[in-house]
Amino acid sequence: MNPADESVLQEKIALAKAGNTEAWGELYRNYAPAIFRFCRRTMPTREDAEDATMDIFVKVRQKLSQYDATRSFSAWLYTVAANHCWDLLRRRKLRQDLETGEVENMPLEHPDPGQLEQLIQQRTSQEIRRAMDQLPSRSRMALVLRYYSDMSYDDIAATLGVRRTFVGVVLLRARHQLREILEGKAGANLATGGAA
Amino acid sequence: MIHFDEMACLLYLEGQLDPQRAKELETHVEECPTCSNLLHALQTETTHLSAALTEDNEPIPARIIGERTRRLPVWIWSLAFGAFAAFSYWVWVDGLSPFFDPLSNAGFGGTDLFTMIVFNGAFWEGWGDMMDAMQIGALILVAVVAIVWIRRRLRRPVAVAVVMSALLLAVALPQRASAADVRRGRSIIIPAGEVIHNDLVAAGPSVRIDGTVDGDVIAFTRNLTVTGHVTGDVIGFAGVTLIDGTVDGNVRVISRNIMLQGEIGKNLSTISNSLDLSSKANVGGGAIALAADGDLDGKIQHDFLGLIGRGDIEGLIGGEAWIRGGSLTVESTGEIRGPATFEGPQQPDVESGAKLASPFRTEITQDIRRNRRTAARSVVRGLFGYVAAVAVGIFLLLVFPGFFRAALREADSIGLPIGVGALALITGAFLLLIGMLLLFIGVGAGVAGALAYAPILYVAQVFVGAWLGNKIMGAAPADSSAALNAWITRLAVGLLILRILSFIPVLGSFVWLAVLLWGTGAVLLGFYKMSRLESMPVPV
Repeated sequence: MNPADESVLQEKIALAKAGNTEAWGELYRNYAPAIFRFCRRTMPTREDAEDATMDIFVKVRQKLSQYDATRSFSAWLYTVAANHCWDLLRRRKLRQDLETGEVENMPLEHPDPGQLEQLIQQRTSQEIRRAMDQLPSRSRMALVLRYYSDMSYDDIAATLGVRRTFVGVVLLRARHQLREILEGKAGANLATGGAA
Repeated sequence: MIHFDEMACLLYLEGQLDPQRAKELETHVEECPTCSNLLHALQTETTHLSAALTEDNEPIPARIIGERTRRLPVWIWSLAFGAFAAFSYWVWVDGLSPFFDPLSNAGFGGTDLFTMIVFNGAFWEGWGDMMDAMQIGALILVAVVAIVWIRRRLRRPVAVAVVMSALLLAVALPQRASAADVRRGRSIIIPAGEVIHNDLVAAGPSVRIDGTVDGDVIAFTRNLTVTGHVTGDVIGFAGVTLIDGTVDGNVRVISRNIMLQGEIGKNLSTISNSLDLSSKANVGGGAIALAADGDLDGKIQHDFLGLIGRGDIEGLIGGEAWIRGGSLTVESTGEIRGPATFEGPQQPDVESGAKLASPFRTEITQDIRRNRRTAARSVVRGLFGYVAAVAVGIFLLLVFPGFFRAALREADSIGLPIGVGALALITGAFLLLIGMLLLFIGVGAGVAGALAYAPILYVAQVFVGAWLGNKIMGAAPADSSAALNAWITRLAVGLLILRILSFIPVLGSFVWLAVLLWGTGAVLLGFYKMSRLESMPVPV
């Protein structure tokens, strides 16, 4: 975002903080579609994603005074959204809380670069999304946080409740699970990973 | 050669590798095609993953972007409204009109829809037959709720709580009934000598209790007769009710005709066309009665509160009496031991010999029939009503612009708000009445609840008027502050057309009925949407 846009955004946020409903409405309209898509990628159903989006914006409005203007607004927004969705999944027992040690110890087959490239290029975006739906919640959440929301490793670690050094492990593990699903041989490993 | 592993390659691509190791990797990759290929493959994977995730592959739901949700075809709503209109007409012709005139004498039959549907509807003989339809409806409701619940699985806690409560309620109701002795049939008789040690729920054309019920009796019937003994309460929805035996608890009955000749241990609440408390009858507690015709020859040990068209007191009222109605006679044998108040078009007729603790406090009400409004007066009245409605509309527009727009947007769906309005008015009023009658909520709370409808009913016309104005003059600009005049003009024009239509005989009544249902539904849906969006401004 260029400095001019950023200052306009910060102005809107300041107005919304002060209770200006028009400014809040504009923020909502600008960010609601992105947050809905985020929820759609992380929650099991479309209805869940709709509900979660509404609830996230209610929370954001309540917490707006806590927003630190030195941080990126969208990063903060995604953090609130991620925490909300992750918390929902936890409450619904859809997410697995593996010890990071377990993640670390899972054997990962070293990929053949040629096959990997072929595998991923042969698949459409829709197929990749469908495969992601079959991932365990934490793997899916990690991939979404990183490759949709572009969140930092620190924020991902804080959201998922793992040490920062394990974020890479979680992401790599998730990629391996995704490849297995795309290859059509998802089974034992996913089951042990606590598929949702 | 020692290769870098996949983890290191990924961390390098993500910019997470420490600078020294990153340098080593870069140097290594220049010489190692395997690691170079792996790096490239991982980069491709990242690109594809990001593309798949960020792709705008499905539309954003209307609920999120604040647009109107997809509607059912208009013809479905038209059909539903037509069916509702036909049903209303049928209820009116077969069920209500025979009782309409006598009740208007009591000052509450009048022409307002609330009284018409609720109070008069209570006397409708077909309620017994309706039970089957209600049961089928309940079953369908449970099925729909279950399907929705399964489809959406465990959604939000609130939604789960609501659905679970609905299911529990639906399940609990038959269980509770089955815990009682449930009898159905053309003629249900508990013969003398038989004792039922349970609550009795009886439904059928005729219910007669000559024996003993050690519990409550709940009856849905044309003819309810109690000559035996009921140790609990008698709750009845009946055409004709005769209580000649002993009821230790309360008697709460909605019935066309009620005759009481026996002993009632506690209180009496009735809604009826005629109430006959014979000289042998004794009510241990107080009584609340709503009747066109009331003969009180027996004894009521405590207070009496009555809305009675034509009242006649020959017996005893042990406490305070408050009666509103067309006429009241206290015969020479009558006795009222507490303060007595009468509200009606004329003084009560107190015969000599009647014992009153104090003279009647009388409030003379205007007799509607003798005070017919002239055409001129009704025009003036209509004009004032019109100005007031426009003022209320402007007030809403200025003070609650978000709500105004939300309700107006809901009004635009036409069918949905009409359906919601009909449902809210009829079921809400019916539940309030039942609650009051069974004293779950008490009379005060019930009246307060009914009064809560009043503002909603009043502002209903504002939204229908504004909608009409918008249709005729074209949609007003979205920014209400910049185009306030445009909004006010549309509101004024729409309301004026509604007022003019209301002057047309017959058609006017239908117009107002539609406005009432339509506007009420829009207001309720507007409230709902506003609460759902937590007062987020909704794009217009």
